[in-house]
Amino acid sequence: MQIQIDHLMPIPLQDKFRQRPSDIWNQEITFKPGNFVKIKAPSGTGKTTLVHYLYHIRYDYTGKVQVNGKPWQAYSKNEIAAMRQQEVSIVFQDLRLFEQLSAQENIELKRVMLPNPYCTPERIQEMATRLNVTHVLQQSSKTLSYGERQRIAIIRALVQPFQWLLMDEPFSHLDQENAQRAAALIADECKARNAGFILTDLDNDQHFQYDVHYHL
Amino acid sequence: MRPFFDLLKKIIQTGVGKSRFFMASIGLGIAMLLILIAIQAHINFSQLLYSSKNQNETADFLVLNKKITNAMMGQPAKSTFTPEEIINIKKQPFVQAFGLVTSSQYKVVIQAPGDLHFATDMFFESVPDSFLDVKDADWKWQEGDRTIPIILPSDFLNLYNFGFSLSQDLPQISQETVKALPLQVSISNNIVAEQYLGHVVGFSDRISSFLVPASFMTWANGKYGTAVTTGTSRVIIKTPDPSNPTLVKFLDDNGYTTNQDKLKFSKTRMIVQTIVSVVGFFGFILLFFALLVFSMFIQLVITSCKHEIQLLVMLGTAPKQLQRYLLKQFVPLYIIIGIISLLILAALQYWAASVLAKHEMVVTPWPGVLVFAGIGLILALVYAVNLFTVNKYVNREA
Repeated sequence: MQIQIDHLMPIPLQDKFRQRPSDIWNQEITFKPGNFVKIKAPSGTGKTTLVHYLYHIRYDYTGKVQVNGKPWQAYSKNEIAAMRQQEVSIVFQDLRLFEQLSAQENIELKRVMLPNPYCTPERIQEMATRLNVTHVLQQSSKTLSYGERQRIAIIRALVQPFQWLLMDEPFSHLDQENAQRAAALIADECKARNAGFILTDLDNDQHFQYDVHYHL
Repeated sequence: MRPFFDLLKKIIQTGVGKSRFFMASIGLGIAMLLILIAIQAHINFSQLLYSSKNQNETADFLVLNKKITNAMMGQPAKSTFTPEEIINIKKQPFVQAFGLVTSSQYKVVIQAPGDLHFATDMFFESVPDSFLDVKDADWKWQEGDRTIPIILPSDFLNLYNFGFSLSQDLPQISQETVKALPLQVSISNNIVAEQYLGHVVGFSDRISSFLVPASFMTWANGKYGTAVTTGTSRVIIKTPDPSNPTLVKFLDDNGYTTNQDKLKFSKTRMIVQTIVSVVGFFGFILLFFALLVFSMFIQLVITSCKHEIQLLVMLGTAPKQLQRYLLKQFVPLYIIIGIISLLILAALQYWAASVLAKHEMVVTPWPGVLVFAGIGLILALVYAVNLFTVNKYVNREA
């Protein structure tokens, strides 16, 4: 799966970015498959907006987001759903777990969304162990701390097949040690799939061996 | 899909407005039942009418004539059928056989022998033999015969026996005696008068007239008749179903009349058909409202889970999957309702069949094929409406 952006510009931020240069906005960029991409930007410059554009859940832009050579708009809802199940996965900044489900069920939901799940239930246990969240799996996600929710959201993004993983400040609620563990797990899972990721964050970090850096 | 749907059940609550859903289910059940009853009643009715088991001689003979109105009095020509009218009657789909009733163009006087003191002015008519309900070897005449076979209406003898003879202190006469009586028949026109012997060979319930063989009628009309031939004022038809409403309508439209008693059943039939249609109509109205409530219920479920559905789709759930899930929540219920109404109908039909059997009317104790087709169609309609609603609202939220 190839993701390209072509003179992408958020309509609400249009005036702001006409004044100052950006590596992303209003540029032509092709994200190379398998690349680890870091996008660094201060608050309020559209990190989340960009991730939502790339994932096609926000549409207020000019320019194009092309997926496999076609703009998102050319795909039907069912086709997009198939891509979200098989080719592109996401960790939202605001996590977006179902509060009426337990932590485990939130992960399981994503796993069994595919008629033939990509990984086994045991694999979820292993990943939970690596991220130190085994003890909260049975709890309602309502009762979890932000840090725990963030790790559940990361595991949820990793139980499906993907070629691209989009992450929006995925370690914002984690301490250095837990962030390191999560990054290692993500790197392993991406390697196992030959997949790349696009990660947005506020600062520089050493969590991954990034192939490309952009400043938003 | 199973484990995924189990999780969806926790996210998409279909429990909102359960009592409304319950009422709509009952409404749907009643609607289905009414429609099925209407179909089944229709099947039963046509079975009673046409099935060979219930055939108490449905084919019937009707003698048609024009209604005599005050305006027509004194103008006999107005009561005769024109050739065009005769052609028109012949080509009606309910006319199986058609015959003219030929009337005599001469005067007839009949006298009973001996001192029975019975003499009367009369007339003769004839119809083709195939329309007669009297079969007798003596029913034939050829030129030269002095004996004329005659068929009398049964009512005529009854009038005499139970009306006239009792009041006049005369003896009552059996059919056999009448058949044995040699009647003196005097046939005349204004010029000649000749005597014949009349022999009653039978009594007709079908045709209320004094009948002679067609061969005699032709000959006698030629011999004694006036040159001006009068037109046909009565015709006889054979019809498979005298209760056929189109037949009744045809007669009314053209101002024809016949033995009304034979048409009575037609009114009953129309009343039954009307009731059945009304029942079916209300069934459809109820079905319509049940469908409306179900659609609104589905809309309510989907809008109340709007955010959940949006997040599910965001995570990659296909609208197709959601639609399948939602349909799975409702459709089995419809099928159960359909089966229950079918069972109730089967029980009703069994009961109706046993009640009718006591009156020697045979209907099958099982629901007809049309009923199964009907329930299939209704379920298909309900499914289609649900599919449409689910697709519409899921696509709106997704």
